[in-house]
Amino acid sequence: MKKKDEGKVDKVIDKLSESFEDNRLSTKKTDLLSYSHDYWPISLHWMLEDKFPSIPNAVVWPEDKEEVKEVVRWCYKGRVPLYPYGGGSGVLGATVPEKGGIIIDLKRMRSLQVDDQDLLVEADSGLNGYYLEDSLNEEGYTMGNIPQSLYPSTVGGWVGTKATGQFSTKYGGIEEMLKGIEVVVPPGKILNFKPHPRTSTGPDLRKLFVGAEGTMGIMTKGWFKIWPYPERRIKLSYASERLEDAVESVRKVMRRGAEPAVVRIYDEMETKRHFYDHEDIYGKIATVIIIEGDEKIAEVEREIVEEEFIGEYKGEGPVDHWLETRFNVKEASEFVPMGVVFDTIEVAVNWSNAEELYERVIESIKPIKGVLFASAHASHFYPQGICFYFTFAGTPPRKKDAESFYQQVWSEAMKAVIGSGGTISHHHGVGRQRKDWLEDELGGGLKMLKDIKEKIDKRDIMNPGNLGL
Amino acid sequence: MPGRWDWLKEELSGISMLTKLPTMTKFLKGKISGPDDMTKCSMCPNMCRHACPISIVDGKETTSPAGKSRVGMMIENEVLSLDRENLLPIHMCLSCGCCEIWCPFDFSVSDILRPVKTRAVEHNIVYEEFVELFDDLRENGTIYEEIEDQGDLPDDGDVLYLRGCEYREGDSEVIDRTMSVLKKVGTDPFVIYDEKCCGIPAYNTGNIGLFEDLIEDMAEKIRGSGADRVVTSCPSCAYAYKELYPEFDQNIDAEISHIVEFLEGKKLKFAPNKNTDRFTFHEPCKLVNGLGKKESMQDLLDRTGLELEKPRRNGDETFCCGSGGTTVSRLNEELSSEVARERLSELKSLSDEIITSCPTCKRTFEDNDEEVKVHDIAEIVDGLL
Repeated sequence: MKKKDEGKVDKVIDKLSESFEDNRLSTKKTDLLSYSHDYWPISLHWMLEDKFPSIPNAVVWPEDKEEVKEVVRWCYKGRVPLYPYGGGSGVLGATVPEKGGIIIDLKRMRSLQVDDQDLLVEADSGLNGYYLEDSLNEEGYTMGNIPQSLYPSTVGGWVGTKATGQFSTKYGGIEEMLKGIEVVVPPGKILNFKPHPRTSTGPDLRKLFVGAEGTMGIMTKGWFKIWPYPERRIKLSYASERLEDAVESVRKVMRRGAEPAVVRIYDEMETKRHFYDHEDIYGKIATVIIIEGDEKIAEVEREIVEEEFIGEYKGEGPVDHWLETRFNVKEASEFVPMGVVFDTIEVAVNWSNAEELYERVIESIKPIKGVLFASAHASHFYPQGICFYFTFAGTPPRKKDAESFYQQVWSEAMKAVIGSGGTISHHHGVGRQRKDWLEDELGGGLKMLKDIKEKIDKRDIMNPGNLGL
Repeated sequence: MPGRWDWLKEELSGISMLTKLPTMTKFLKGKISGPDDMTKCSMCPNMCRHACPISIVDGKETTSPAGKSRVGMMIENEVLSLDRENLLPIHMCLSCGCCEIWCPFDFSVSDILRPVKTRAVEHNIVYEEFVELFDDLRENGTIYEEIEDQGDLPDDGDVLYLRGCEYREGDSEVIDRTMSVLKKVGTDPFVIYDEKCCGIPAYNTGNIGLFEDLIEDMAEKIRGSGADRVVTSCPSCAYAYKELYPEFDQNIDAEISHIVEFLEGKKLKFAPNKNTDRFTFHEPCKLVNGLGKKESMQDLLDRTGLELEKPRRNGDETFCCGSGGTTVSRLNEELSSEVARERLSELKSLSDEIITSCPTCKRTFEDNDEEVKVHDIAEIVDGLL
């Protein structure tokens, strides 16, 4: 940050210190370094190398929307970059404060209220995901948004990244759950879009903030649809000979209108990796399915799955194994510090191009020098198509640093996705990692997005640089 | 049956040795020796954040479980200097062990960071609040200024009842009721009048030298009492005697139990419950996570026949009272109270009558809310036996 800009930031920090007590506004080095990264592998790599190229000037923890408004107002006035921060579990660098400025962490805003009759939950943006779901379960409901980051992530982060969870095939993504939203936008204005079952009142402005990753404003509260806690859960698993068989089976299930909550199809390598202790599945294509909800509906959905599935039924064991291990993120801790480059890339594609996309992405990654393996599972399903979740690992070859190696893999994968007619992101968002491919995805739409951003945030303070905006 | 890594071997079989060797070496290193625990914890996206009372209430990355490890790592790597300001987030740990339940490596952040705290103490980088504590522990053998034992309790019998600093200082009623329970179950309880601190406050603050001195003294007193059975009111004391003393070569032959553990296997004949009040309960983290007694307190309460409301966070998902771990309540009283209020608001939504089995939890709740009535489990059991 330039000296002139630092002066501006200092003035804003001085102003904020008039209303935020010491423990809610910090310029301590420990805090600044703690907010210099999120869970983007590149930023973790920086931390391991003791490099901190993106350090904020201050961190602030508001407790209500008025305080958020005040932070936005002063930052806008002082032209100081402002980065909303939730659980820090985003994997694409969306919260990395690349231009310095102020981090606004929403985690001290965490109230929730359930409306039984309307089946809605009103939740503050900083509310922890597990806290929300566990509290709902206790009262006899579920929201059904169970991302792998359920434990560390926040409601605001889910909306910001347009997240989706493991049970999305039934419950939908966060954009379908969100019925109303309260946001603070520059220059410091609170907008409240109340929840309605449906509304036909012009373009849906609520959606402007879903997946905007903090570039348009700051969500302070949301209203989400909830469901009575499922009275029945059915667990099914299959071993198929070919990936195409399993994919085609699920396509037919979806086409008939059944909506299993969880469906996961593992390619041969991932089946070996995840189900190595299930000998009868090893080397095949494993599919785990969970159907849940109303007893009668669930039974009908089970019948549809059983009628359509091409593969040998393998009971509940593999599903239980998946349930037990689904939050395990051990590998990153074990291997990344040893120099292994490891990441996941999730994309979506219509059924008609599914097979081609899977093959092209795997074939684009595997030949890269240093890549050890590339594999995938399909994790979310729609009547129109499928989400593939690719995993790769390797070590950079000699004379190539980890970051360039990582970017080479990403670049080849993104090209393959676009070439196969897929979308470059299914639920992790764009952040700073995917921004260079956004134009290929949106075409002229990117210019429109930039124009909208400029109109809302003329001084470009809201998470500048993120999404390439 | 295929092995854990057969998939990788198969995948590598088609790759030339020259290409795969560097990666294989790194993979193997990661699996066999791996990075140190602090680095592993730092590389986690905080998969225990939801269970960490500090993280939920404070809402800061810096004091989140992995965040604390990251600060520790930065201190170890000399990105941050070893000084009081930088050490502060590390001390924002309640040592409740709630993180350990969710960790795939079974890490306790408190254990991971203790070496950093210890190094700080060795370099005399301590807070004023700690100096006062260390002086009290060293000079008086308690966390308070000198405690004068009240009452007329027997100093000979078959079960040694260690009352702990907290009850000795402020709650002779619970002491009497615990003695009464012990008698009702057929034992002959006694106390030692020069009882000292179990040492755990020194351990929590990283003063291992002082901890070793304290436990040597206290272990000697317990051995000298001749008791073959020891009962405590405080789960942290029981944890120290059972788990930490042997680790530091202070073995006590007597069987040691917290009062809940002690009553666990006993045949107890409770009077029919005439109490119409509804109670809720708070399980202390050191009982649940430290001593591993995940259901014992609930089981005991169920046997009493009382009307009980179970809090959402119970069993191994219990929540700290806010005063665990010695350091938070001393260095950041407001944060400690915030954690207490968070827990109290959950408990109070169920009942104003709270049962717990830890002197620190009892005192913390009473200090933070005048409306609630907090009972030690011994008081409840004694009233119904």
